[in-house]
Amino acid sequence: MRLRSWPLLRQLTGPDRSGRGTAVRSARTDGLSARTADADRVVKSVCPYCAVGCAQNVYVKDERVVHVEGDPDSPISRGRLCPKGAATLQLTTGPSRLHKVLYRPPHAADWQELDLATAMEMIADRVIDTRRATWEWENDGRRTARTMGIASLGGATLDNEENYLIKKLLTALGVVQIENQARVCHSSTVVGLGTSFGRGGATTFLQDLQHSDCIVIQGSNFAEAHPVGFQWVMEAKARGAVVIHVDPRFTRTSALADLHVPIRAGSDVAFLGGIVNHVLENELYFREFVVNYTNAATLISEDYRDTEDLGGLFSGFDPAKRHYSDDTWQYAGTSVVAAAGDRDGDPSQRVSGRSETRGAMAQSMEGTPQRDETLTDPRCVLQILRRHYARYTPELVERTCGVPPDLFAEVCRHLTENSGPERTAEFVYAVGWTQHSDGSQFIRTACILQLLLGNMGRPGGGIQALRGHASIQGSSDIPTLFNLLPGYIPMPHANQHRTLDGFLGTDAPHKGYWADMPAYLISLLKAWWGAEADAGNDYRFDWLPRLTGSHSTYDTVLAQLDGTCKGYFLLGENPAVGSANAKMQRLGMANLEWLVVRDFNLIESATWWKDGPEIETGELRTEDIGTEVFFLPAAAHTEKSGSFTNTNRMLQWHHAAVEPAGEARSELWFMYHLGRIIRERLAGSTDPMDAPLLGLTWDYPLEGAHDEPVAEAVLAEINGWDEHGEPLPGYAALRADGSTSCGCWIYCGVYKDGVNQAARRKPAEEQNWIAAEWAWAWPDNRRLMYNRASARPDGRPWSERKKLVWWDPAQGRWTGYDVPDFEATKAPGYRPAEGATGADALSGIDPFIMQADGKGWLFAPAGVIDGPLPTHYEPQDSPVRNPLHPHQQRSPARLLYPHEHNRANPSGDEPGAELYPYVVTTYRLTEHFTAGGMSRTVPYLAELQPEMFCEVSPELAAERGLRHGDWATVITARNAIEARVLVTRRIAPLHLDGKVVEQIGLPFHWGPNGMSPGDAANELSSITLDPNSHIQEVKAFSADIRPGRRPRGPALPALVRDRQRRAGVTDDTGMEA
Amino acid sequence: MPSKEQVLRLLAEGQGYEEAARRLGIPPGRAYLIATGVPADGSETVVGPRRRDRPGLLPTHPQHLVNPRTVSPTGREDVRAWVRERARGERAAAGKDRRS
Repeated sequence: MRLRSWPLLRQLTGPDRSGRGTAVRSARTDGLSARTADADRVVKSVCPYCAVGCAQNVYVKDERVVHVEGDPDSPISRGRLCPKGAATLQLTTGPSRLHKVLYRPPHAADWQELDLATAMEMIADRVIDTRRATWEWENDGRRTARTMGIASLGGATLDNEENYLIKKLLTALGVVQIENQARVCHSSTVVGLGTSFGRGGATTFLQDLQHSDCIVIQGSNFAEAHPVGFQWVMEAKARGAVVIHVDPRFTRTSALADLHVPIRAGSDVAFLGGIVNHVLENELYFREFVVNYTNAATLISEDYRDTEDLGGLFSGFDPAKRHYSDDTWQYAGTSVVAAAGDRDGDPSQRVSGRSETRGAMAQSMEGTPQRDETLTDPRCVLQILRRHYARYTPELVERTCGVPPDLFAEVCRHLTENSGPERTAEFVYAVGWTQHSDGSQFIRTACILQLLLGNMGRPGGGIQALRGHASIQGSSDIPTLFNLLPGYIPMPHANQHRTLDGFLGTDAPHKGYWADMPAYLISLLKAWWGAEADAGNDYRFDWLPRLTGSHSTYDTVLAQLDGTCKGYFLLGENPAVGSANAKMQRLGMANLEWLVVRDFNLIESATWWKDGPEIETGELRTEDIGTEVFFLPAAAHTEKSGSFTNTNRMLQWHHAAVEPAGEARSELWFMYHLGRIIRERLAGSTDPMDAPLLGLTWDYPLEGAHDEPVAEAVLAEINGWDEHGEPLPGYAALRADGSTSCGCWIYCGVYKDGVNQAARRKPAEEQNWIAAEWAWAWPDNRRLMYNRASARPDGRPWSERKKLVWWDPAQGRWTGYDVPDFEATKAPGYRPAEGATGADALSGIDPFIMQADGKGWLFAPAGVIDGPLPTHYEPQDSPVRNPLHPHQQRSPARLLYPHEHNRANPSGDEPGAELYPYVVTTYRLTEHFTAGGMSRTVPYLAELQPEMFCEVSPELAAERGLRHGDWATVITARNAIEARVLVTRRIAPLHLDGKVVEQIGLPFHWGPNGMSPGDAANELSSITLDPNSHIQEVKAFSADIRPGRRPRGPALPALVRDRQRRAGVTDDTGMEA
Repeated sequence: MPSKEQVLRLLAEGQGYEEAARRLGIPPGRAYLIATGVPADGSETVVGPRRRDRPGLLPTHPQHLVNPRTVSPTGREDVRAWVRERARGERAAAGKDRRS
């Protein structure tokens, strides 16, 4: 009897021999039911990992999350989830999560338990005390009204509403050192795209990739890092598109591409510059597009000198200050200055770190540019461009990048053959482009190319920036960033302009949509300070603390080391392994008075004092460390409501499915109640430093067992309302007279008609590919930005095949498939009158409406402070001498942070460079997420990628005696790590300039904690920054590799120091301009 | 287990999946799977023309057959009331300031 019940026998002897019906059933399976079928409800949500923004269905039974699946209605993900998204159930409900508050007293050896209420009171005490002890009314004689004693880091994994409360509360407390992952991931995107086009976000959306005829993926392993978004590349390929992958490694993206182009990490400007040269020399640019929609015809100042004239420097470089004056880069007859980022008019403040605001939202311009539409004047942008890139020949590309001329020619051919009126090509990139000491210029080069080829604002065209956190776009838009206010309005600098009028009036933009900045800023001040803010008191503009330079996360580390910064909030970010030069991050934290870590579990940034690498080496002793550490468990996305902004500017709402368990709470809860407690403590204070805090609008409705602030109320404040409490329909409704309130002007419209537009979920199959009724995107729900350029100057589509938005003469308005990114009734033939201002100053053929001249910028007269045109420079640490500018090895304006723990490797042909002979690049894996806090603790994911490894070629393995599966030690002047050796032809040696260059690939997800421990790649990297964005260079640096495990204990720093000594490394190595 | 023909016959008679499933004593999602070969929850691999030609296929949103208890509100009256009250309070405070 038992034998007959054996399934295979039952199948073969029964009526269902193919095993597709009754044969697969048994008494046991008959008693089973799917978790989805038994659920009490299905709650709509969004994946919390990368920024593709895959929609999720969260199944709840008995007030517990029992299952998470992809939502098939989503136009972006179409029901799919990647391995991380599929592991969301384990992330949110698994055993790794902590639900208790932990406390480490100063100098203690271990954690203690603490109840949440006590912890909140203690944290409020620390904030109040530190703030009072470090309060600074003035700095160098200029009013600052701030504290430099407190800093905050994190926000990209959080909701927009949470970022909003973080920024609002901390700013009112006078804290300026507010930063998040956007700084270290995509800040250079904002500069590169913003300066070129006027807005710093990706210009298109993932679904539109399907319309591309040629997709160049460079600086991204799209298929593995953003797998669900990659389906749209495959759709394009199925329609006949050519897919090209330019990357040091052959990955799954390469395997699915038509062409893989191995390239030396860090040489992309030379590669792209070579294509620019090919396009110009062969007259392959889209002439009508270029003449009408870019600044190609604009004449530049006679005083401008190019890097080709000055041996690698542009005119205006000051070697003492190590930065440029952009005076000679101006349009002839005009001055172009930052519209949104340099408004305080203090030239001494025109220093690095400001370009994110400039780049984000374009420039202001005085005067009318001179143009030569024949494009023959030697001073016109096109001719300058031609001269600048004339030496970027295929031979130079080979010498610099290691790409053979025939392979390079193939890329050029595909790209140019698939650009023009009938065809479009798209560039896709990620942090492989952004994380360089000139990362902003990597992106600028692609912008130049796409403008020349006429691929902007058109279906299948544009530049897709793949961001890596669920709401990293949102944490830029509603910025937990030191230099920005919501909507890319700059934080004011301390200077002579202490009034609102002074701030708004200096260099006031008269042209383009930034002319309405007073309405944006005053509405923000009304949202924050309500009735306290009125015209008579400058809308409390003086309640904003002031900047005095850069206060980025890396500057904060130095401030911790020198004792200035004493208290630190880590809100879902793990700098102890995730930021450059991890050792300096930990040493900085070891010098704090207090540290608050909010996360799902004990990440490395919470435990470094107990078991960090410096404890093992003896560089730190637990009992000597006075930092008081609070660990507060965080709520998961399934336990709170809020919106994420995906990589394409789309706000998608996720609903709370259940209440968080134990003492886990949302950031919304934490910030609201921290603010409430502090305000209660300080109630009645007459100290002027407390006025901004006590005047804050902080009356959000609460709900649930934990008194959670209602996230939708915060969204409503972000959207804004008029004086009658009617939600505003869009930013055009904002007023500068104090009658409107709006927490973030670019998000105005997300709560139009009192409807949470971000929560809309009309199924994809009921809409066209734009899917305008799925969620909401800024600006004004436009999905493909600059789409006026999809039509000819006369308003007709360039071609039937590529039509998107066009002028309807009968209706007298722009129409089409997407919301026009243009004034709806402005005719193509409109030309501004003399002296026109604001939007009226833009003509009917100015698609880039945030730019003062309405044009796409091939040449950047302002906004990118390390040069108006991208130029190839070597990374800070490079085994290669700069083939283009042998006497200008590195970007002269890069930011350096000299420190004994941040020394540079010798480069090129400098003595000692041979001791760091290989190029290292870092990257992401499908199964892990950023610094590992959301993946190394998830059993499914930890099991799929269990160990830190390094990829090396068989040739390098032979050269260094490395064996597949054994250990290797990788060494730089900062530190050394160990990793398992993966010998693979995926990372091939490159032949360039008469030498062979080997590259080493390192995933960056590891750290000592979790189920899959390993050394962090960021132990090796240095703090060397792009001066525009303050992003760190971790995608290309040099190192050595040797077989075997790294030394333990004090022998590890001894190894690093010994290598420094042998290489002759000093504090001055690599520090020249 | 009902056959594909049984489900399609009920659909041809004008019944929806919910009613057809009720009559056949199975869940609606299963009725959909039997009729079309495509799971209603979107976990299908059948795409393109092969999928479109299948009788019984719903043009959109078949997941409502398996996920009937969906929570996805797009607005809250209490929030709208809070917004109005906040604006009213600010108006009142501004008026008081002007008077005083």
